[in-house]
Amino acid sequence: MTYVELEHTADVKIRVIAPTLANLFEEAARALMEVMYHTIHPGSITCPISITSDDQISLMHDFLSEILYISEVEEIVISSADLIVGEKHLKGVFRGEKFDPKKHRGGMEVKGISYSGLLIRWEDDHFILEVIFDV
Amino acid sequence: MHEGIKRVGAFEWEVPIGFVPGMRVPGRFFLSEILGEMLEKGAVQQLANVATMPGIVKNSLAMPDIHWGYGFPIGGVAAFDMESGVISPGGVGFDINCGVRLLTIPLREGDLAKKRELIERLFSVVPTGVGSKSRMRLNARELEGLLLKGSKWAVDQGYGMEEDASRCEDGGFMKDAEISPVSAKARQRGMPQSGTLGAGNHFLEIQVVREIYDQEAAKIFGISPGQICVMIHCGSRGLGHQVCTDHLKELEAATRKYNISLPDRQLACAPLTSPEGKAYFGAMAASANYAWANRQVIMHLTRKVFEEMYGIPYEEMRMVYDVAHNVAKFEEHMVDGRRMRVCVHRKGATRAFGPDSTDLPSCYASIGQPVIIPGSMGTPSYLLHGTALAMDKTFGSTCHGAGRVMSRSKAKKTIRGQDVKKTLAKEGIIVQAHSMEAIADEAPQVYKPSHEVVRVVHEVGISRLVARLEPLGVIKG
Repeated sequence: MTYVELEHTADVKIRVIAPTLANLFEEAARALMEVMYHTIHPGSITCPISITSDDQISLMHDFLSEILYISEVEEIVISSADLIVGEKHLKGVFRGEKFDPKKHRGGMEVKGISYSGLLIRWEDDHFILEVIFDV
Repeated sequence: MHEGIKRVGAFEWEVPIGFVPGMRVPGRFFLSEILGEMLEKGAVQQLANVATMPGIVKNSLAMPDIHWGYGFPIGGVAAFDMESGVISPGGVGFDINCGVRLLTIPLREGDLAKKRELIERLFSVVPTGVGSKSRMRLNARELEGLLLKGSKWAVDQGYGMEEDASRCEDGGFMKDAEISPVSAKARQRGMPQSGTLGAGNHFLEIQVVREIYDQEAAKIFGISPGQICVMIHCGSRGLGHQVCTDHLKELEAATRKYNISLPDRQLACAPLTSPEGKAYFGAMAASANYAWANRQVIMHLTRKVFEEMYGIPYEEMRMVYDVAHNVAKFEEHMVDGRRMRVCVHRKGATRAFGPDSTDLPSCYASIGQPVIIPGSMGTPSYLLHGTALAMDKTFGSTCHGAGRVMSRSKAKKTIRGQDVKKTLAKEGIIVQAHSMEAIADEAPQVYKPSHEVVRVVHEVGISRLVARLEPLGVIKG
């Protein structure tokens, strides 16, 4: 488990904790995949990703929205990512396996990444992310 | 009730200006005391946040199924002046035109043989669950036709009868839909998903009409006690989700461009008169049309199953109505004694137009719009009709469902899908889903009691009860 689920009545609110900003983004992507597909395994498919946004919160929002889109359209369940993350820009590669209904249909459909309650903060030597997925 | 909220009627509560800084109008919501105990502070805060948006008219409103969402609260309704007002994806949601339709089957409960086989057949015919794909193979041109003409397009392609489209809001498609602001990404997601149910709280349910409260209205709506019906609940799938995501980003920039100050980024908005606002509205309308076509195709698949299994002629399975839950529309309403064109946002709320309103099929003009309120898997659904009072009080709006009361994380820890399935089976309700987690996540106890939500809208008079329908079997994503 890469994340903890927080109380939210209608949707899925999660907290991710990581030692670096790049790890925070990587773990957030993994958490999104776990919510959607329940079971994820390392895969051999690789794909580059590059995103530029207005600020760090938007960067996280846009990154997770892009992961959601790629996963659905390319039918890839993403298992890990290697990212270089700046204030407004990130680039890197993610890896995953092909979506298989038998393995991956047990999760929840995420409709979108909400800006409401989206926060990134630095606390006790770690980055913390809180984000709500609309399900 | 939370501090700072005033009671202004038996079921009516006011959030005064000043509850959060910058409110332009008061907030109003409708709740019984029982439902009041379940009201989250976050939902009231969101209701008050909406009241800060430019051009909001009269009140920021919420229905008795109010709960904590993102941007607007779920159950939120707000109207904006066409000149000075704004449009916001946060007032519509990711699942644009998530909605419900009700189909009548000329079968009595006692004649519904092979119920398990029926549920299994529907589960195999209607694609459901995460990653499910349609058996329809749309090309780019067909998708454009669907985005422009919604249910009407589906009917023209052979997925229904003429009458079906006329029994949807707006005749089954919003005429202001525009193709160009629907991104390539959104189209890519929409192409393989038309005619799929999706996951989460979406469902297809076999129901029986258990009780009639208003004989005259029931007769007009074409339902009688003991009759079998099918309720279909789904939305605009990945296409609508992507349209929301894309335009949220555009409108974030527009919020800064037009110097609009907001308490929540998810309320990102643009003036209705601006290019950004118009682009979102056109794309949202196209997504709404996608959802209508989606429900139309699923209803067609359902009719075919009943035709094959029970020999019922297709045209004898008539649709009562189709309602949209998440949408923004241009409508005319009386505000302080004058007729005004406004943009009404309904986020988890149902239109409930009263008798003789515009946009009602002639057969329902005397009684008002059918209002379909789904329950959860084990709890009843209700059919109501719209009222003149709703036109006065809520811009012709009412509740949309039961509303969650237990978080998904708590449901996961405390409820086992297998137990829910067994309990429901004892009550004669068959549940078919891809996973036990999906069943646990949507168990009856995670929702507010649907009868209490419906009682409040009936007592307030913003819609009136016609019938109660009980579940016999359900397929879920």
